Parts: sequence; C-alpha cells; structure tokens
Amino acid sequence: MKKSSLIGWQFILLPSALIMLFSFYPMIQSFILSFESGKGNVSEFVGLGNYTRLLSDPIFRQALFNTILYLIIQVPIMLFLGLIIAHLLNAPKLKFKGFYRTAIFLPCVTSLVSYSILFKSIFAVDGIFNKLLLNMHIINEPIAWLMDPVWARVVIILAITWRWTGYNMIFYLSAMQNIDPSIYEAASIDGASKLRQFFSITIPMVKPIILFTAIISTNGTLQLFDEVVNITNGGPGNSTMTISQYIYNLSFVYTPNFGYAATVSYAIVIIVAILAFLQMKVGGDKK
Amino acid sequence: MRALGTFFKHAFLIAASVISLFPFVWMLIGMTNTSSDIVKGKFSIGSEFTNNISKLFDAAPVGSAFMNSVYISVIGTVLTLLLCSIAGYGFEIYRTKGTDRLFSVLLLSMMMPFAAIMIPLFKLFSGWGLLNSALAVILPTMTTAFMIFFFLQNTKSFPRELLQAGRVDGLNELKLFTRVYMPTMKPTYAAAAIITFMANWNNFLWPLIALRTQEQKTLPLVVSSLASSYNPDYGIIMVAIVITTIPTVLIFFLLQKQFVQGMLGSVK
Amino acid sequence: MKKALSTLLVTTVMASALAACGSNNTNTANDASSNEAAEGKQKVVAWAWDPSFNGKALNIAAELYEQEHPGFELEVVDMAKTDLEQRLNTNLAAGVSEGLPDIILVNDPNIQKYVNSYPGTFAEFTNSNVDFSQFSQYKVDALTVDEKIYGIPFDIGVTGLFYRSDILAEAGYSAEDLENITWDEYIEIGKVVKEKTGKYMSTINPNDEAWTSILLQSGGSWYITPDNKGNFVNNPVMTETLRLYKAISDSGIAKPVTGWSEFVGSFNAGDVATVVSGVWQIASIMDAADQKGQWAVAPTPRLNIEGGVNASNEGGSSWFVLDGSANKELAMDFLGSTIGGSSEFYERFLTEAGGVGSYIPAFSSEAYQQTSEFFGNQAIYADFTEWSTQVPGISLGMYTQEAKDALKNELPNILNGADLEKSLANIQKLFEQQVQ
Repeated sequence: MKKSSLIGWQFILLPSALIMLFSFYPMIQSFILSFESGKGNVSEFVGLGNYTRLLSDPIFRQALFNTILYLIIQVPIMLFLGLIIAHLLNAPKLKFKGFYRTAIFLPCVTSLVSYSILFKSIFAVDGIFNKLLLNMHIINEPIAWLMDPVWARVVIILAITWRWTGYNMIFYLSAMQNIDPSIYEAASIDGASKLRQFFSITIPMVKPIILFTAIISTNGTLQLFDEVVNITNGGPGNSTMTISQYIYNLSFVYTPNFGYAATVSYAIVIIVAILAFLQMKVGGDKK
Repeated sequence: MRALGTFFKHAFLIAASVISLFPFVWMLIGMTNTSSDIVKGKFSIGSEFTNNISKLFDAAPVGSAFMNSVYISVIGTVLTLLLCSIAGYGFEIYRTKGTDRLFSVLLLSMMMPFAAIMIPLFKLFSGWGLLNSALAVILPTMTTAFMIFFFLQNTKSFPRELLQAGRVDGLNELKLFTRVYMPTMKPTYAAAAIITFMANWNNFLWPLIALRTQEQKTLPLVVSSLASSYNPDYGIIMVAIVITTIPTVLIFFLLQKQFVQGMLGSVK
Repeated sequence: MKKALSTLLVTTVMASALAACGSNNTNTANDASSNEAAEGKQKVVAWAWDPSFNGKALNIAAELYEQEHPGFELEVVDMAKTDLEQRLNTNLAAGVSEGLPDIILVNDPNIQKYVNSYPGTFAEFTNSNVDFSQFSQYKVDALTVDEKIYGIPFDIGVTGLFYRSDILAEAGYSAEDLENITWDEYIEIGKVVKEKTGKYMSTINPNDEAWTSILLQSGGSWYITPDNKGNFVNNPVMTETLRLYKAISDSGIAKPVTGWSEFVGSFNAGDVATVVSGVWQIASIMDAADQKGQWAVAPTPRLNIEGGVNASNEGGSSWFVLDGSANKELAMDFLGSTIGGSSEFYERFLTEAGGVGSYIPAFSSEAYQQTSEFFGNQAIYADFTEWSTQVPGISLGMYTQEAKDALKNELPNILNGADLEKSLANIQKLFEQQVQ
C-alpha cells in the first residue's frame, strides 16, 4: 500500500506544484494586500479595516445580492436543461444528432462582443423580442428590458443560460458516453421504462459529473463578469452589477484601491469555498 | 405514440438549435454589410464582404495574431491534457486522506477572481524576463484545478478491473495510465480538449497584460482594439469575430465523433 | 498527511525561491526603446487607442518632426481604451517599468487620478518650452495638478447641438430658433417636433452619464468639488441638471437607448432630430451618407441659471510622457514641437483625421475656416472653436468615476419621481462611502 501511495504522489506532484506557483503564490500576495488601503501605489496598512468596510459597503451588498440571485435561479435551470439535452442527444437512433450538438454548442464560442451587441438590440424597447411579445398579445406595452432593474436581470440570466447550457451539455454527454450500453439493454429486457432508466441508471452514473458542473457553474456564476459589463454595464443603477465587476471597478475604473479590491476578491473565495464544500458533502461519494 | 414522443423531442431540439444559432447567423450576415447598416439592424445579406475583409487586414495584424493564437492554444491544450489528466487520475486512483486534503486546497485556486492575482503574477513574469512571450501565456494556464477536477470526476466511473487486468499482464503503473486509461477515456479527453482549446483561444485578460507588442498579440486582443475606436466599423469587426470563432468550431467538429464512440470496442 | 504538508512546504519554498531570484532581474530588464536608442536610432513608443484618429495624429506629428530630425522613429501600439488603462495600472501597481511606452494617451477625467495614485510617474511640462497660453484654458486646467502641468493638450470635446435642419424645418423651426436656447426651450421645441414629424428629438441612456456631464460643465460645475468632495448637495447646477434630466425623460421626446451602437444607430437611421455631443461625433454622423446636406450645428443649449452658458465639453484627452522612460527628453521634445506648438500639425490633424485640437493659433487657419457640404455649408469648425473659448474651466478631480456611479445608482429613483433633494442626499452619502 505504501508503494502505491508513493507512486500516486509522483503522478500529482508536478501539476500541484505548478498550481502552487502560479495561483497560490499570487493569492498569498493578494491576501497580504487585502490588509492595505489607499490609492494606486500610495497605500498604508489598515489591519482589518477593509474587512469591516466590506461589511457595511452598500454597493458590495447590492453586488452580492445580484450575484447570489443569478446563482440561485440560473444555475439549476441551466444544469437541468443541459442534462435533458444531453440525454436526448445520447440516444443512439436519433437523427440529426450531429447538427443539434453543434448548434447548441455554438453559443459557447460566439464572441462576447457580438452577442452582447445582439442581445442589446434584441431586447431594445423597439427590438424584436418586444415586437414578438406584442404580436402574440402576451403584453400590451413594450417592456423596457434593459432599463428596468428586474427585467435587466432577466436578460442577464437569459444571456448566461443561452451561452453556457451547451458547455454543460458537453460534459454530460461525454460522461453518458462512458456508460456501457449493455446496462441499458439489460434494464430494457427487465422491463424498465426509459424514464426509469434515466433516473436509475443514467443519473447515478453521471453523478460525479453533475457534482462537477454544479461546482464549476457556481464558481463561474459567482465570478460573473463579461455579460454584465458588456450587456448592461451593471445597470440600471447597480441592479445587475456583480462582485467581479465591483472588483474590476475598484482596480481599474475608480481611483485604484488594490487592497480593498483584494479584500472583496477574498469575499468571493470564501463564499464559493463554502458552497463547494456543501455541494461536495451532499453530492460527493462516501468512502 | 412513439412518433409523438419523437416529434416533441425534435421540436424541442430544433427550438433549442434555432435559439442557439441565431446570433451566429447574425454575425455571418453582419460580415457582408456596412457598419451603419449593421447598426440600423439590417438582417439581409449585403455586398460588402470582400470590402470588409480587405479593410480588416489593412486595419489590424490579423494574420500574425491568428498564428499566435494557434501556437499558444495548441501547445497549451496539449500540455493541459497531459498534466491535468495525469493529476486527475492520480488523485482518484491513488486516493488517500492526504491527497484528498491537497486537492481541496488546490480547488481554492479556482475561486479567486483573476483580476486580483493579475498584478502579482505580472510581477513574477517580469522578474523572470518572460513578458511578451508565448510562454508567459502558456505557463500559468496549463495546469488548472478545473481540469484536474474534470479528469478526477470522470475517473470515478473508470472501471478498476481494467487496471487489475493490466497489472496481471505485467504493465507498470505508468504504462497502465498510457495503455489502459488514456485509450478508454477518449470521450473525456475529447471534451477536455474542446473546453481547454476554447478557453485558451478566447483568453483575454492575461494575454492583454502579458503581451505587449503588435507582433505578439492574439486574436481576442485584435478584436478588442477594433471594437473600441470612437467610430467602430462593425463590418470589419464581424469579419474579425467570425475568423476568431472558426477554429474552435473546427476543433469541435473534429472531436465530436469521440462522443459517439463510448466504450464500444475498448479494452475488454 | 505528512506527505501533503511536506509537498506544500516544498512547493511553497520552491515558488518563493523562483520568484525571488526572478525579482532581482526586474531592475535589469530593458524596454524596447532603450535598446533602440543604444543602436543610435531615435525611437519613441506610444500607446493610443483608435488608430484612425489618435494614432493618425501621432503619425502626422512624426512626419513633421522627422523633417527637422531625420532618424526619428515612432511606434504606435494600438489597443482599446479600457485595455490601455488596465495595462498601465498593472505596470504601475506592480512597480514594473518593463513594457511601458514613452508616450501615453490619457482621457482627461483620469489625469488627476493617475497623477495622485502613482506619484512621480509622469513627466512635468511646466518648465518646458511649450507655451500653454496658446491652448484653450480649460484644457490646460485639466492638466494642472498642484500648479504643475503634466502633459500636452490634445483633442477637444467642445460640444454642439447637431440637428437635422430638414426635420426641424418640417416642424416649423429655422436655424435662428435654435441659436443660444435654454434646455427648457429645447424641450418645448422637441415636443412640437415629435407632434409634427413623429421623430424623437434626441436619445436618452440612463446608463450613460455623458449628458449630465455636459450640463454640469456648461454651468461651471462638476460631480465633485475642486477638493474632491461630493458636489451633489447645495449645488444649484446639479439640482437644475437633474431636474432637466427628469423633464426630458417625462416629456417623451427622447428615445431610450442602451448602448453606443444603438445610440449611433438612432441618428444614422434618422430616428432622432438632434444630437448634443462633442465635435468628434462628426465622423459618426457623417457615416450616414444619405443624410448629406441635412445637418447643421447650433450652440449647446444652456442651463437657465446664473453662470449657465451655451458651451460645454464632452471627452477629450491629452498626451503624457512617462517620467521613467529612457527616451523622456526625446519624447517631450517630439510632442512639444508638434502637438505642443505647430499650427501645421493641427491643420493636418483636421483635414486628414477630422480631429479638432485646442491650439488657438490654428483656429484662424484655412482648414479651420472651411465649410462643410454635409452640414449645409456651415463653417462648423469655426463655430466649434468659437464656442471652445466659452467653455467654463473646471477641476475634474480624482473621483469622477465614483461620483458618476453614485449618481447612476440613484437615477432610476429620480426618474420614477423620488424627491430630488432626498435623492441628492443619498447620492452624496453613497459617494462619501466609496471614497474612503
């Protein structure tokens, strides 16, 4: 047994060391910085001052609220959709699988610049989406999507879901492909329905990947930046702003306060770490 | 009854495909129109395609940026697949309490927003004299907790009996990895390759900071410069964007067959 | 467990060692320009955004400079404005000079922020041979921090009321009716235009504070006071500006837009009758070739309060030289003799790039007196430069962006009819919270 664990360390040593060097070393420096505050290079030690400031910072609270809102609503919808689509595309006899696969994956590679311009124009007050809803008599007046705090968040959620469902679909599909089809055959022979097979065979065998996507999506949504900056720029007011955007503003838009930005960054780390820990406890394997 | 089910399945998938494809089609149409037409929302094909292409190549170093992106992305992806799969495999197959703890720590590295570690990382590479080189971009991104995590989770469904069989056949631990694990996990490698290539290809913030001269620029940097003039020419921006999108789509096309293979015919 | 700890220990030690041996090299790292200087060539590297405007200007200046200084070479590295700011901040915050250029373009509202956040980074032009009295005073004001002048003024953002003369005529208004009006008059005209032609008078974008900036400066005020305090309460200019903002939004004469391309699309497509913007908007307006001859420019509407004038500014940038650059003197001389004092440069800048500078001697040149067919044969540049002499000079302070964001946060409430005084107090509080 000892020999095998030595070999195990040989497998993981180099990659771990690389992560230590390129991620942890800067993270530690950032942590030290989080105890300083000031402007640009003119900063001084403030102890826990930044952390206390964080607790009463109204903009941080707004950003936190928005970010958690996106997380709770968007991630489950996206993972569920990704799972369903992957399952449908996993069927051996479905026609046009290749086309569907490619089409649904394309949003992941469509450039941020181009689809944010497009989303803005689709959801403009005189944009196509309003025209569609008006024509179908679902609404009586055009909705000012990007100028209303609630609807703007809806647009962001739609944008993220549109963009990343295909991404998660890929993960699920490749995991489903690892399941031996003879298991399904045996179950069919035993009389289990397709639905039953999905819940009793597919889901349990794909569970590690579901956990993976849950943690990765949580991480990604909590660090959401691109869509918010390019489609709504945090607005209207600060109603769509995320924590990552706030960190960026603190470093590069406002008079730079890198110390406080580091503090806010660690707020994200702590939140994601707690959530990841919980998710692993719930969905991890028991050994 | 079966036909109805199939009908709904296809209807759903077609709807999903149309919604997914629409912006992409819009990009393609935009390539053929003038900037003011695009801004006005024109949705028909124009005649500016060749014009936009030549304007683009005049305005920006697209050729060299493309090659830089290819070089960095391909090398980065290959290295990532090797390093992260070997680590993911190691963390799962030779799992101990100690390795579990180490992995949890490594996972933390994913959770830090990049903007916060950018400056110390920049100092590091400057100190080594590696700024403005492909290495500056490849090194920090070739090992990620994300990818190690991906391989680790996928390895959980890897049948250990295959390893036992291999040991009985006299293979050493490394050969078990290369001869038994790697061929069996092709779908996982394919998915990882697509995801990693995409991440490397579209990587923006760190290359922006680490690469400084026109010759070293990657494609996303070129697109960003174009999109931010006082009077952006959306026609050439669309061409640039499509050029940027094509390689990832190509890689996806090439690798997606792996999703269909599964474990049929693997070592049994 | 021991293994985990020792791995961590070993790798952390390795990392620190690698990093430490690396940091010894920081001082010996050369940047490209000093290498070139050693070879006997005289090369200067500049960062700018928009190669057809800023980059072009530098190249024109280089051509002029080369005539007197053969062997001079200029390299312009082009990147997005926000990207430039990220790179600059990263370099300066990391204390790394490698990769920095000799010359950099800076947006005026950022000047004080950079000078105060990174002391000693930018070269002073106070005692150089540039005659700053030859430039629009308000541009020089923006460059002056603690009595020191830090760069050379570049393009000017003097504003005007661009309007579609054909649409206004259809509604019954001539050019005289738009001369030197107040904003309330503008709104009244807008209502008639909407009624008679169905066109919006202008656009409105609640996420963009360009409009409020224009109004504030036209009243001699700004979001922050010269000593960097919030200027939201007890500020009649601010109160009047926001009252007008709500008035325009309520009047129905403004088309809501949410982004730059929608904004440009609105006037390119002929959806709006006017655009109040800086002189640099000319290029985008002229993109709609089918609207040739249908545009004209009037003075910016003014605030109907004491100190309100029919002139303001939007945007504008200046050239800075990095104090630590090896080619500092060369860069300063280059900028100083071209952009800092050559009428020929400014004439070429206008005719070849459509750029308007703030160099007063150039204003009387032929180029600046030309008429524009697109704008109904109006001598637009002569008008703009005339207005530029009336723009109130203000201090842009260090915290412009924080103040703008604090305002943006409260704008939806204001537009929904919240009590203005209360809103202003909220904004003030939010701002003060942000600038600890």
